Amino acid sequence: MAHERDSNIILLVEDTDSDAALVSSAFDRAGIANPIHRVADGEQAVSYLQGIGTYADRKQHPLPAVILLDLNMPRFNGYQVMLWLRTQTELKRIPVVVLTESKDSESINRAYDAGANSYLVKPGEPGEIQRVVEILAEYWMSLNETPRLAFRSGSQR
Amino acid sequence: MAVIKPMDRTDRRGAGRQILHSEAAFRSLIESVHDYAILMLDPQGIIVTWNPGAEHIKGYSADEIIGQHFSVFYPAEDRQAGKPEFELAVASRTGRFEDENWRLRKDGSRFWANVTITRLNDEAGNLIGFGKITRDLTERRRAEQRYRQLIESVSDYAIFSLDPSGIVTSWNLGAERIKGYSAEEIIGQHFSRFYPPEYLAAGLPAYVLAQAEQNGHWEGEGWRLRKDGSRFWSSAVVTAIRDEDGDLVGFSKVTRDITDRKLLLDQIKEHAAKLELRVKEREQTNADLEAFSYSVSHDLRAPLRAIQGFASALKEDYADTLDATATSYLTTISDSALRMNRLVQDLLNYSRLNRIDIESQPVSVAEALEQARLELADSPGEIAVHVAPGLQVAAHESTLVQVLFNLLSNALKFHLPEVIPKVAVTAAPLDDGSVRISITDNGIGIAPQHQERIFNVFERLHGQETYPGTGIGLAIVKRGMQRMHGKVGLQSADGDGSTFWVELPAVNA
Repeated sequence: MAHERDSNIILLVEDTDSDAALVSSAFDRAGIANPIHRVADGEQAVSYLQGIGTYADRKQHPLPAVILLDLNMPRFNGYQVMLWLRTQTELKRIPVVVLTESKDSESINRAYDAGANSYLVKPGEPGEIQRVVEILAEYWMSLNETPRLAFRSGSQR
Repeated sequence: MAVIKPMDRTDRRGAGRQILHSEAAFRSLIESVHDYAILMLDPQGIIVTWNPGAEHIKGYSADEIIGQHFSVFYPAEDRQAGKPEFELAVASRTGRFEDENWRLRKDGSRFWANVTITRLNDEAGNLIGFGKITRDLTERRRAEQRYRQLIESVSDYAIFSLDPSGIVTSWNLGAERIKGYSAEEIIGQHFSRFYPPEYLAAGLPAYVLAQAEQNGHWEGEGWRLRKDGSRFWSSAVVTAIRDEDGDLVGFSKVTRDITDRKLLLDQIKEHAAKLELRVKEREQTNADLEAFSYSVSHDLRAPLRAIQGFASALKEDYADTLDATATSYLTTISDSALRMNRLVQDLLNYSRLNRIDIESQPVSVAEALEQARLELADSPGEIAVHVAPGLQVAAHESTLVQVLFNLLSNALKFHLPEVIPKVAVTAAPLDDGSVRISITDNGIGIAPQHQERIFNVFERLHGQETYPGTGIGLAIVKRGMQRMHGKVGLQSADGDGSTFWVELPAVNA
């Protein structure tokens, strides 16, 4: 089971296509090997993490080493994803990095309350997104010691 | 008063009270009474005893009057009408006669007397004479008359009385003026005729009297009818009147016509309601506008990030294959996106300033200036800060930093190309307990006629080519200072530099 999360992928939860493209290209340009798996909203993120529906195949859709999560999304927003995630025995240790627009303290506090491990604001200045992605990859994929996920005994996954 | 009733004296003889046996004791009691004339008459009305009270009230000494007929106290007309004899006859037959009327003093002057004549019997029940008690009520009568005249002459208030069933028994000038009925017309009528049909149907008149009887009084406002059928808005107090035994003897009613006030009040209420509605509508509109601008700003940023991000990625990653023209196009795309991004950012900041809760806390002026300066590190020019390190103001820190950033940024920006921008920042406590932070530049200055409008959103005095900007910076300054209950202002002359200042409450460190 452990090899499933050794896949070292990043789950990008982002409803805005252009932002998803920007982040993906920044990872590519930084020459970082971890493949990005992108889902377009919170509902899809939950399905992905549960491994159900189109995400049933864990070989194709492995559990991520880190989740990059937007907050303002239709249907299931980022806070709801985190609140759900932190109640899941198997998944609750997956680090979540919020990457969003808002930098008002209310959003920030609410995100940490919901279980965020880090909070980044989508940068507005040219070249900044590249720098953020590189630091992010360096920190979360390389420096940071990722936890072992706790699996339920008798789990089929 | 009871102790001097001679009837009691005989009645209580059986009680064995020694003092009542003593004629001398009883006499001395009567002799000591000063405010009541107490005298005895023989069966024919001849005066046989006289007390000091009698002398005080009527002016005769005992020597002068004893032996005379008591009719000397009556005015001539009463004497001729046979009143003295009549009164004795009534007392003789019924045991008692009481009257209030004019009597004469020795000097011929009149006084208003309360007179009680009581038949006196011997033990066998035979008439032996009369006891007569007289009080001088002239003063009280005068007071009552003055009071009645006063009430009658009041014209702003309808003051009238009702018997226990609600029949009008008195009526003053004010009542006539307000309700239109003369005293002759209305006395003897039931007061329910003042009530409009809908109040009658609801049983209000009976309710009002019942409430007054139960609680002592009733107060209320409502429509009432005048004699001509027109309505007026009355404010009324109904008071229950009771006698010494607590029995209800009637009601007094004081009514004011406050129609003018009522109509005015109704108008004011109506205006207030309209105003409130308008304020609510406006608040809703404002909230909608803010939500709109916030969401637009947010949604605008994503495509801008993509345009700018991919333009610069293209420029960097394909530098080898792009010629100079293509590169300059990309630079223009990138710069435009950047400018628009800043505009959106400023709009977001401005809109956030309206939405967020701003709570003031002690903030170090020097530190806030330092934070603002850090964000301007790349801008050319000199900023000299002359601020005492310990100086604190009551402010919302991030808002103050935003305000100072915008002021410093402007101070560095608006200068002639050949001039090196120099900015001086000072801060000093004022007499009124606030601190003024002044930012003085050596820039192009602002003509007096423009000094007010530069604080409006999107207000710009120069083209993008000369001085780039979003036109929101000073609007942020103004709104930020408003939200922090501070002030902002400037001194400037065209071509001669500007000093922008903000004032915030000082905090004693």
